[in-house]
Order: sequence, then structure tokens, then C-alpha cells
Amino acid sequence: MNDGGQLYTIEGVAAGLIMLLTAYMVVGATSMYTPGDAHISDMQLEVLGSDALMMMDTPPNSSFPSPLQQIIENDPVDGGRFRSMFMNYTNVSGYGPKHDIQFFASYTYEADATIMSAPINSSRNLTGGEHAVRATKWVTVNKRLPPGPFPPENRAVLVEVLLWRD
Amino acid sequence: MARLNDDAQWIILMGFLVSFGLFFLALIINQSTVVGQTTAESVVEFPKNDIRDIRHVIKEHAENNGVINDRVHHDIINISIQRKGAVVNYTLNTQYYQRLDAYNHSLIHYNNGVTTYSENWTSN
Amino acid sequence: MIDERGNLSIDFLIGFTVFMLAFIWVASMVSGIMVGLQSSHIDYDAVAYRTGVILVEDPGWPASPPWEFYGDDQKYEISRFGLAMSKNTPGILSQDKVNRFFCSSFIYPDDYHSRAIFGDYPYHFNISVLDGESVKGQSAGDVLPDGYGYIRRLVKIKEGSNATIGTALINKFHLNNTENVTTHDFSVLIDNTKLQGNMRNPVYQIDTVREQIIINITDLRSTIKEFNPDIDHPLGIDRDTSIITLQSIAVKKLEGGVLSTVRSYDRPYIDGKSTVTAPPCGVNDNVSLIINPRVFDIMQSGYAKIYINYTFTVLPDSTFLNNTNARAQPFDYNYFKENVTQPRLRDAVVEVAVW
Repeated sequence: MNDGGQLYTIEGVAAGLIMLLTAYMVVGATSMYTPGDAHISDMQLEVLGSDALMMMDTPPNSSFPSPLQQIIENDPVDGGRFRSMFMNYTNVSGYGPKHDIQFFASYTYEADATIMSAPINSSRNLTGGEHAVRATKWVTVNKRLPPGPFPPENRAVLVEVLLWRD
Repeated sequence: MARLNDDAQWIILMGFLVSFGLFFLALIINQSTVVGQTTAESVVEFPKNDIRDIRHVIKEHAENNGVINDRVHHDIINISIQRKGAVVNYTLNTQYYQRLDAYNHSLIHYNNGVTTYSENWTSN
Repeated sequence: MIDERGNLSIDFLIGFTVFMLAFIWVASMVSGIMVGLQSSHIDYDAVAYRTGVILVEDPGWPASPPWEFYGDDQKYEISRFGLAMSKNTPGILSQDKVNRFFCSSFIYPDDYHSRAIFGDYPYHFNISVLDGESVKGQSAGDVLPDGYGYIRRLVKIKEGSNATIGTALINKFHLNNTENVTTHDFSVLIDNTKLQGNMRNPVYQIDTVREQIIINITDLRSTIKEFNPDIDHPLGIDRDTSIITLQSIAVKKLEGGVLSTVRSYDRPYIDGKSTVTAPPCGVNDNVSLIINPRVFDIMQSGYAKIYINYTFTVLPDSTFLNNTNARAQPFDYNYFKENVTQPRLRDAVVEVAVW
């Protein structure tokens, strides 16, 4: 039997295997890193803020307006009640980690084709360096806006709350 | 034994190198569309709570006997575009099917530049 | 002579073919390589968020009849847990669902993993619900370690409605009769058409198809009028010695003007016992019914009027709880808070931790 070609065949197979191994290692070494946890705390804060506003806008039974409606319709706006309800919702701890969440709440309405923003309350003043997320809730109120001597009418306002962790 | 004629090997080898290089780059470009977008970012970006909220306030407007172009309608559309960056458009119709019975019907459109939502809502 | 320039040798071709086949196979598995890169810590928060949404914003599957009323032997028919009252009321949980979710018939981790967590990776988790008013918590899962992915959701839990028919209501609605007879019938009306129609908002509605209702009848002995021994009553009537027997409870449906008996109900709780006693049975002072949606669902009675008819016998003959005469109407399970304790919303916190 003429086995002169065996060497060449073995050479080919070996070359193939080496190339395979190299290709696998090269492709396996590429990695595209995604900085994973940059936005998780933002997401958790935003969900918490939205939940808190939704809880505040649910009346305890159907014949009452919701607490958030009552807070905005009050004249002047009942900031103390908003603050105590909101902080109660966001800082209640359950079994999980304790929170120390600060907030800045205001509501936005339209007056004469311009958008005006009126403050509700805040846990402390904004310094500008906070990394905050915004949670919003639409509320229908029966109130004269901008505040004035005329009788109240149905309006829709947007309650905006900035939340951050110190 | 006569030597094999292997003059073309270099050309073919370079050809393979180039094609494997292109394949590798294609892989990287394919992955680049999803890299950098974390799950948490996608959650924050999708306006689930905004859409639910808009539907809720439009339903309340309908139940408070609202009509198009009244104050609440302008409030919702203008504040939405100015503060939320979303175009909201809706119609309000009241259909009477018996003398005192009516149902409200609304076509709602929402578009915040990334996500669009349309709904044909009827109260019962 | 054949010009062999440019030809490839056979051994090269064979080697190259083997290589290409193997390379294509490896390339198709490249996407699997990237899985190893994802740090599981990033994943935990995402899984916790997803589980939080599934529990708080979804009613579970099957939603109708609700999964929480399936018995332990049917737990494999529950394909997904969800605590929300319905798809249209995210964030408002049903008390029945919360109680059932933490029942010991579901075993950590398997039962919860396949119905709330999902995925192939065997995560550890802890799901807890803390009640804002009673500050009592229920939880399912392992003890929390040092690092975990986490989400907290704020919710309201809707308590079911219940009616307690005691001395006050009996006197107010004249629910006892005035003649001395042996057999007494008492009926409670559940008018689903009115219940659905008078309150459109499902958050405050009494919805017999989705949640259970509780009817307690107490102070039964106080409805027996006492007599001293005389000509009409040789032995006298003494409330403490009369023998009260609950003969049967019938469920009737009024639909299209036709009153038909659908079934008899045999699960009353007598005198505060923790298990049911099927009638006929002796009663001392109270009877409670906890009627779950499966009873109404079987009757296809979403909009019909349902009458729950209790039949009592009292020996010796006396007055008793009885509203079949013309004076009294069936007790209406409705939205008047003097008659029925209305559904109420309580604040609560749902926390999901995954590691």
C-alpha cells in the first residue's frame, strides 16, 4: 500500500483543528460589556414614585374624592397632608432595605396658553446636584386656576414629583 | 516525488483571513444594536404608567360629561406635549341607545416619539 | 502536460472542509457564549421587577373562575399566580388571592418558581406582603441574604364584603315572625343585576363572581319569644331550651320570572366551628356561610337574582327568624353600609427579593 499521502492528510486535519481552536478562542475572547446596574436604582425609584401617587389618587370608597384631589382642590394647596402621605408611602419599609427618599412636588396647569407650575411641598430644597427621577400623575380637580375670585371649574392638572436618594 | 504546485496558497489564505475578519466584524455590529440598553433602561423608557394614566384621566373626563375642545381637553393635550413630550389626541362621543341610557366612546391616540398607542374605548 | 498551477491539493481540501463544517457549527453557538458574560447580579433586579409586575398587576391564570378557589388537588391547573383583582385594576389586590398565595399547600421553591418566577435558572427568592394597618406580614421563600435583587410595590388590598344579621338588623327589618310554628324559612337576596349596575367601578363593587361573600346569622335564640306555662303553652317556651335544627339551605335563582332551585348548599359553619357541618344539624346560636365564586359560576348567574333560603325547625313551636311572610322582604345583600359591611381598601406593601 502506498501510504505516502498520509502525511499530507494528517497535516490537513491538524491544520483544520488548529484553525478551529484559534477561531473559538478569538471569538470567545470578544466581550461587549454593558454597564449593567447604572439604571436599576432609577427604575426602582420611578416605580415607587408612580405607585405612591397612584395610591394617593385612589379614594377609600366611591363616594369620596381621592386624597390627591382633595389636596390640590384645597385653597391653598394642602402641602402638609401631601408630604405626610407621600413620605409614609415611600419610606415604609416592610422587610426590605430602609429608604431615605427625598422629594419635590409641584403641579402643572395651563393658564392663558402658558403652562404654569405651582409648588405643593418638598422634603428639602433642591441644590441641583441630585440625581432625581420624575413621577407624574394626572388629576381631575374642580378648582379655579389660576387661583382667583371666580367659581371653580373642572380642570386637569399634572402632579409632578421629583424623587432622589441622598 | 514531484512537489505539489502550491503557488496559489497565499492568495487563498489571505482570502480566508479577510472573510473571517468580515464575519467577526459583522458579529460585533449585530450585537451593538442591543448592547448598552439594559433591562432597567427599557423598563423606564416604555411609558406604561403614562399610558395608563392618560387613559384614566380621559375616562374621568368622559364620565364627567366632557366634550371636545372644552377646558379639560385643552389641558390634557397641551400639558401632555409641554411637560411629558407626548402627543395625545382623543375624541369623545356619547351614544344614546335608550332614552336615559348612554354609553361613552372615545378614540385615544398617544405618541411619545418612541412608543405609539391607540385605543377605541367604550364604557358599558 | 496538465497545468496544475492554482489547484488545491486534496489533503488541503479535506482539511479545509472539516474545518469549515466545524467552524459553522461553532459560529451558530456563538450567541450562547454571550450568556456567560451577563453578571447574574444585573439579572436579579430584572427578575424581581418582572415577578413584581406579574403579581401586582395581573389577576393570574385561570382568572375566571378565579384560581384562588381551586382546591389543593387542582393546584396543577393553576398556570400563573397573580394577586390583582382583575386586569383592569392593577395595584388593587384581592384579599382572597393574597391569602391563597401564602397557603401552605404551595411549596417553596417549585410551586412558586413555575407560577411566578419563571425561567430555567433556579433562583432563590422571597415574596412578602406587609399589611399597612395591622403591620402584619406574610412571606414565602428563603431568608434574605446580604446581596439580592429587589423591588417594592405599593398596593391596596380589597377586603371582601360581609353581612352580619344580628339583633339590630332583625329588629330593624322585622325579620322574625309573630306566630308559633315549627318550620321557619329565612332568605337572603343577592341581586347580581343591581350589584353590578349600582356600582360601576370594579374597585368598590361587590362582585360575587370574583370574590367570596360572608353571611353571618347570629342571635338566633333571641328571636324566640318566651312564654310562661299557660293554657296555650303547657310547658312554656324558654329560649335556652328550645331545640333549633337547620334542616337545609337551598340556593334558588330567579331568572326570566322563573324561580328555580339550583342546588342545596351544604357547607355552613355552625356556631363558630372551624369546619363545616352539613345540614340537617343542630344549631345553638349562629350560622355562617362563606360563599365562594365557584358557587355562582356554576349557576351561570352573573346577572340573575339569587336567593339563599335557610329552613329551620324549632321545637317546641315558637317564633323565630322568618321572613317569608308579607311583612318582611328577603334580606338584601346590597350597598347600604348599615346592612352589609362594604368592601374596603387597605394599604399594603409587596416586596420581591431574588438572589
